[in-house]
Amino acid sequence: MDVRRQHRLRRRLLTAAHFIGLFLAMSIICLPGLWVVLNSFRPTVEIMAKPPVWIPTELNLDHYRAMFGGIGEGGVPVLTYFWNSLVISLTSTVIALLVGMAGGYAFARYRIPGKSAIFVGLMVTRAVPGVALSLPLFILYGRLGIIDTHFGMILVYVALNVPFTIWLIDGFFRQVPKELAEAAEIDGCTRWQAFWKVEFPVARAGIASAGIFAFLTSWNEYALASQLTRSLNSKTMPVGLMDFTSQFTLNWGGMCALAVLMILPALVLTFLVQKHLIAGLTFGGVKG
Amino acid sequence: MAQVVLQDVVKNYGALPVVHAINLDIAHGEFVVLVGPSGCGKSTTLRMIAGLEEISGGRVRIGDRVVNDLPPRDRNISMVFQNYALYPHMTVRENLGFSLYIAKRPKAEIERAVDQAAEILSLTPLLDRKPGQLSGGQRQRVAMGRAIVRHPDVFLFDEPLSNLDAKLRTQMRVEIKRLHQKVGTTIIYVTHDQIEAMTLADRIVIMRDGHIVQIGTPLEVFERPVNAFVATFIGSPPMNLLPATVRSGGLRLADGTVIPLPPGLTAREGQAVQFGVRADNIMPEGHSMPPTAHMALVEMPVTLTEPLGTETLLFATLAGTEVQAKMLNPRPVRTGEVLRFGIALDKCHLFDADTGASLRV
Amino acid sequence: MYRMRLPPWLVLLMPAFVILLAVVAIPLVLSLYSSFTAFQLTRPETITRWIGTFNYEKAIGDANFWAAFGRTVLLLTVALNLEMLLGLGLALMVAKVTHGQRLLRTIMMFPMMFSPILVGFQFKFIFNDNVGLLNNALQSLGLTDVAIPWLVDGNLAFIAIVTAEVWTSTSVFAILILAGLFAIPQDPVEAARVDGCTPWQTFRYVTLPFLMPFIYIAMAIRSLDVARAYDIVQVMTAGGPARRTELLWTLIGRTGYVDARMGYANAMGYIAILLSIAFTVHFFRKLSSARTSLGMGD
Repeated sequence: MDVRRQHRLRRRLLTAAHFIGLFLAMSIICLPGLWVVLNSFRPTVEIMAKPPVWIPTELNLDHYRAMFGGIGEGGVPVLTYFWNSLVISLTSTVIALLVGMAGGYAFARYRIPGKSAIFVGLMVTRAVPGVALSLPLFILYGRLGIIDTHFGMILVYVALNVPFTIWLIDGFFRQVPKELAEAAEIDGCTRWQAFWKVEFPVARAGIASAGIFAFLTSWNEYALASQLTRSLNSKTMPVGLMDFTSQFTLNWGGMCALAVLMILPALVLTFLVQKHLIAGLTFGGVKG
Repeated sequence: MAQVVLQDVVKNYGALPVVHAINLDIAHGEFVVLVGPSGCGKSTTLRMIAGLEEISGGRVRIGDRVVNDLPPRDRNISMVFQNYALYPHMTVRENLGFSLYIAKRPKAEIERAVDQAAEILSLTPLLDRKPGQLSGGQRQRVAMGRAIVRHPDVFLFDEPLSNLDAKLRTQMRVEIKRLHQKVGTTIIYVTHDQIEAMTLADRIVIMRDGHIVQIGTPLEVFERPVNAFVATFIGSPPMNLLPATVRSGGLRLADGTVIPLPPGLTAREGQAVQFGVRADNIMPEGHSMPPTAHMALVEMPVTLTEPLGTETLLFATLAGTEVQAKMLNPRPVRTGEVLRFGIALDKCHLFDADTGASLRV
Repeated sequence: MYRMRLPPWLVLLMPAFVILLAVVAIPLVLSLYSSFTAFQLTRPETITRWIGTFNYEKAIGDANFWAAFGRTVLLLTVALNLEMLLGLGLALMVAKVTHGQRLLRTIMMFPMMFSPILVGFQFKFIFNDNVGLLNNALQSLGLTDVAIPWLVDGNLAFIAIVTAEVWTSTSVFAILILAGLFAIPQDPVEAARVDGCTPWQTFRYVTLPFLMPFIYIAMAIRSLDVARAYDIVQVMTAGGPARRTELLWTLIGRTGYVDARMGYANAMGYIAILLSIAFTVHFFRKLSSARTSLGMGD
């Protein structure tokens, strides 16, 4: 049967194309990142070699040593940046979560006049480009004397994250049936107790993932941080990356080492919450 | 002691009234079922009694307290929800004991109450599972267990069986009735299923469009429906309704057929009416029709048959309207066969064609 | 004493309103005001010098501004469409896989963890004309023996920037579309197949309409931080060389901080803000109409 052979051949070709396509796509996704990791272990001479060295001949921890030791290459104070990033990201995440929980709960549970307009209005504040916002904030912060402070950065990042945490948490609370809280109230809870004893524990995983999303945003943010931080007081790691550049040169190896330090926590956290994250986004979005 | 009294209770959503000034007296220990088509206000009424919905007007009393402004937790009620609303993060044991735990009762007392409730509903082997690991019927029982643990004044059931399959529903219906006999607490039960209403209730409250249409025992509402809506809503298959006009002591159907006026009815000459008769009261000749004094005979062609075993449901046409009749001790019937049917006139109803009100005195 | 009773939802939303008002709305009012003045960062007294719509007129008459504006819109259009198409393709490929799908999904999320600034450096490195990965590879494979000036030539630099942007953001689309693919009810798909639809027709008339809300969610999310592309561009080319990759955002940044002409920068900033807001509102409206057409709305 000619037709059957043709069909079988076509199916095989499709399978092969599918496999090759997937392989290529995954390689393109992974390679740039892996390249960074690899280069963080290679000596600068080898990175810059011409003709290129494809198979690494020597791997060492020099860049990490330089980075943590604060020696050579202008002595970038990585640990201070790491600490600043950590404090600012964590604090702003906790506050954004609390504010977002209140707001998300309101959207999920109450009839609000003009609900979708208010929702889009909140989202729009997030859409304001960082550069455009940083100009007036820079002036305002200058007047208030909170430029280059943890407090100033935390405030900005809370505002940056609140719209999105509201969106996500709204989605998660909607997945918690309203009857659960009602049942709790009939069982003798106050509204407050019903929230903390029933609705919050049920939505907890989702809320955690909203928190991680907020954390990643703060952790990776550059446009605002680059203008509102000046010194060791509050400079975060994305801004710190710039320390590896000077007018005409770039310390690739050192930068790659810092990059790895930045990615690691993000990697771990994202891995932990990926499932909930998708659920929250799609639920909140689809079941408007 | 907990009777429940509703006085002129109103519910508005904004400007939209959904419950119109209803009055209802429920005695202590009574099993009352609110029934009606969806959107009739029955669930809203239940939720107002529970305190989950604000009362727009009138008063609700539970026992001797007016509870209008009390939050649900202070009304000493418990409720079984349509989707059970079990706390998914707690085990069955924790679910059952939650209300007592919130009330800060001593541990030993909670344990005893939980064990007792689990015993009654045969949940003991499931106590350490989470709701996610239970079947539909088991979840339903946990929901009921959670309700009985705290010995409330009133049980509220909001369509508790509608998520179960047909077989389980019948089984749980019996369990609910048995539970009521055992604990004797007042029960208010909402359903859209008239069979559940008939089988469970001491008294049925039939609602429509936010009004109470009729209150009565199951037999009362079945035998003496106050209007055409109740007549067609209660009973299965629904009552046949045929448009007719009253003409010189008889009923003239659309095609000119005249049927004698059933006894005990008041109708003006020339009044447009609907003639109502249940399938149980139309039977083909020779098939166990009990002899009565008032019998009308009609010939009808059979269009469809539904054999049910002990009886067959016959679909036939009378004066251009499809009617359903019952054949006991059935024999095979061909489609198109013309049979002679007897109509038991003293079991028939007459409703005003405009208002739908019953014309029985 | 009379106590105002606010509706509970308003009380709950109040913290969000307050903080967004303080950190976003009030600064924006300030920047709106300063966009009508000749404010220069280095001379604070200039904030009171009212010059009306001069800054806006200047922006409108400035060829550099319009070039940046056009380039920004072009970048967004090209990048978002590419991301959508690639994301759709990637999601369809991953959805077909039966074994190891979890692993693939995790890999797919990889670029999302990278700080945009890091992505900028990474691609600056890759596209470097002298020691970059790409030129090295091309030369080693013998495809070319000259150093292609990726980040120096205007058109090539645009391609490089789009590549970096697409690399970071395609996964947002892929992941949400994948979620959509799993959420599609199987009945209509099977019905279409029984009705004699070819695979392409099934996709076009059944699957795709169901996916649209998910695509719009992704678009809406992306529209919220399209301006994160600023980080990438700032690092890769900083709008250079000689403004050949200048985007609205880099232009604003340079005018405000390097040239210290805050008033003018704010005027342009406002135009950028309105552009972003238009984007966001557009996609949220698309989202809600796609939802209602599938009967998923409230």
